[in-house]
Amino acid sequence: MNGEVIRLETDVAVVGGGVAGCMAAIPALEAGLEVVICDKGKLLERSGSVGGGVDHYLTVMETGPEWDTPDFLLKHIPELTDGIVDMEVTDRVVREMPRVLRKLESLGVDFTDPRTGTYDRHRSFGLPGAYHINFDGTRFKHHIGQRVRRGKARVLARTMGVQVLVEDGRAYGILAFDVRSGDWYVVRARAVVLSTGDVNRLSKNASGLAFDSWHCPYNTGDAQAMGYRAGTTLANMEFTETTLTPKGFSTQGLNALVSLGAHFLNKDGERFMFRYDAKGENARRAVLADAVINEYLEGKGPVYLDCTHMPKDVLDHMEATLQIDRHTLPAFYRQKGVDFRTDPIEVSISELSIRRSGLYFRGSGIAVDMNGESSVRGLFSAGDSATVSGGIAGAATLGHIAGESIVQYAQEGHRLPEVVPGLADRLAAEAAAPLERPDGPGWRPFEDRIREVVTDHAGVRRTARGLRHALEALRGLEREEGRLGAREHHQLMRVHEARNVRLNGEMLAEAALERQETRTGSAHWRIDFPQTDDEHWRSFVLIDRTDDGPGVRTLSARGPLSAGFRRTAENGG
Amino acid sequence: MDGDARTPLGHNPIQIDANACVRCTLCDWVCPGDIIYKEEGDRETLPVVAYPDECWYCGHCESVCPTDAITIVFPDRMLHNDSDVISLLGVVDGADGAATPSSGDD
Repeated sequence: MNGEVIRLETDVAVVGGGVAGCMAAIPALEAGLEVVICDKGKLLERSGSVGGGVDHYLTVMETGPEWDTPDFLLKHIPELTDGIVDMEVTDRVVREMPRVLRKLESLGVDFTDPRTGTYDRHRSFGLPGAYHINFDGTRFKHHIGQRVRRGKARVLARTMGVQVLVEDGRAYGILAFDVRSGDWYVVRARAVVLSTGDVNRLSKNASGLAFDSWHCPYNTGDAQAMGYRAGTTLANMEFTETTLTPKGFSTQGLNALVSLGAHFLNKDGERFMFRYDAKGENARRAVLADAVINEYLEGKGPVYLDCTHMPKDVLDHMEATLQIDRHTLPAFYRQKGVDFRTDPIEVSISELSIRRSGLYFRGSGIAVDMNGESSVRGLFSAGDSATVSGGIAGAATLGHIAGESIVQYAQEGHRLPEVVPGLADRLAAEAAAPLERPDGPGWRPFEDRIREVVTDHAGVRRTARGLRHALEALRGLEREEGRLGAREHHQLMRVHEARNVRLNGEMLAEAALERQETRTGSAHWRIDFPQTDDEHWRSFVLIDRTDDGPGVRTLSARGPLSAGFRRTAENGG
Repeated sequence: MDGDARTPLGHNPIQIDANACVRCTLCDWVCPGDIIYKEEGDRETLPVVAYPDECWYCGHCESVCPTDAITIVFPDRMLHNDSDVISLLGVVDGADGAATPSSGDD
């Protein structure tokens, strides 16, 4: 196994040092609690999906107009989420947004436009008001990460969480390992936060390269998998998200061109988008993706994005801002030899993510209550791994709520189990077992097969028969997990990630088989049940661990997810 | 070699100019995928791209490099991609496309 087994004692253990995890750590640190935070990245100032920067932030600000109030936004959320959303948690998140915005500003984030000194707010993503602040968030994560570091949190860098310690329905710590040194950490903690973002590397894309993905490919549903194994209830796992990309490079960046006036053309040169939506290219993003998928399925591909009709000043602006979405996008077009001023760009769809299905406030993952706490007491989640998620703002706000709730929880004085002698070494040895098989099958071919199965049978078009086939194949792959080998701890990380991707794929297929309707377009499109069925399916699909793998049940979406929690730990001390 | 996922593609996306590189470790520190390894405190050794096949093409290393010593180079299969997008859209038993509603499954 090499490396030491290091035992730590703390108040709060955070797995995943992105926006949600750091914002959960901050209130705990302010209250004088000790925090251990681990992340697979090296620098907390750069960790997570927006470590490289962010340029918009969704919030209500209560500046006067009716649309800028929590009540107004909340009123519209059921329709924005196609009726499947936990309104109790969302209500708290939206009402906390103005306060968390001020908190971020107190950490040094400047949301104002330096030219005007005011907030540059825009209406976008189909929201019913100008809730998005456009700002220079290059150093957004820097400020948040730095606050955690200055608060004397113990940061375990390049460290992957693999297991939550649970006794009697209550979390009391985590197991993690340093992917370079091979040191193992057994962290005993009063509360645990799982915040590792969305699930990627789950299905195929045009390039066939697993790490060429729209969202961060190092986000592999570690929190969702750890939560599942620890006994948390999960929800909304059937909903996936895809986007439109320049073919060959799974990156964001096309939507910016579309919003500036680019047209989609099919192989016949037809501007087809008006056949799908009266707003044409101004339709919701999910509509655009669905339309392109359908054109391809009807044999009308390739589909192109055409900017050649646009005026020079707009093209100049496009070129100047191309790298905002992805630093390397200008280099991609340059190396490809394509100039969007004169050449239509061939379009593909990206791989799938399990990530709030492109909507705000309907997250997919660990079900949480209005404190950000899961069905396992003392185990919290926020960000894209939790069931209420709204981009960066949602991660920051629910993360902060979870942190404040933990301060309260820690004061309740629950009995904190001991890490019994031998347990730490045994768990570390189990998790390190692939290192004992350096010549065992590698994680990569294993993972490739997950992507084939999910793409073919649990992707943008689904049937009962296909989903059953997917489940059978994914369960078959589970039986191979015990043979996977690794030569060093970096590969051990990839083995654990591959196992987590597989488990998330299995939960996706189970939930998708259960939901016998189509909802939110290609997020969950059942060919055998092509209609949205509000009469029977205004329901969440919940997933719990059973002896036979993920078990599903349904719960009315008219109440909160926490109504379906089967908590076994008692309240209070 | 089955267990070794280092270079199945044979392409290194992170090209480092040895003459320009000042051996500072920043690229290693900002890489979100644990792909670039640079010995700390050693002014002689160059950064090593240990897992080129696991690159996200995010360009964090390129943008942080103080001497512009790093260039991200895309592989041919990304630049000149001839895959069939339909192969990403799912398989329906007995049908070549999935656009037809209700194939009678189940």
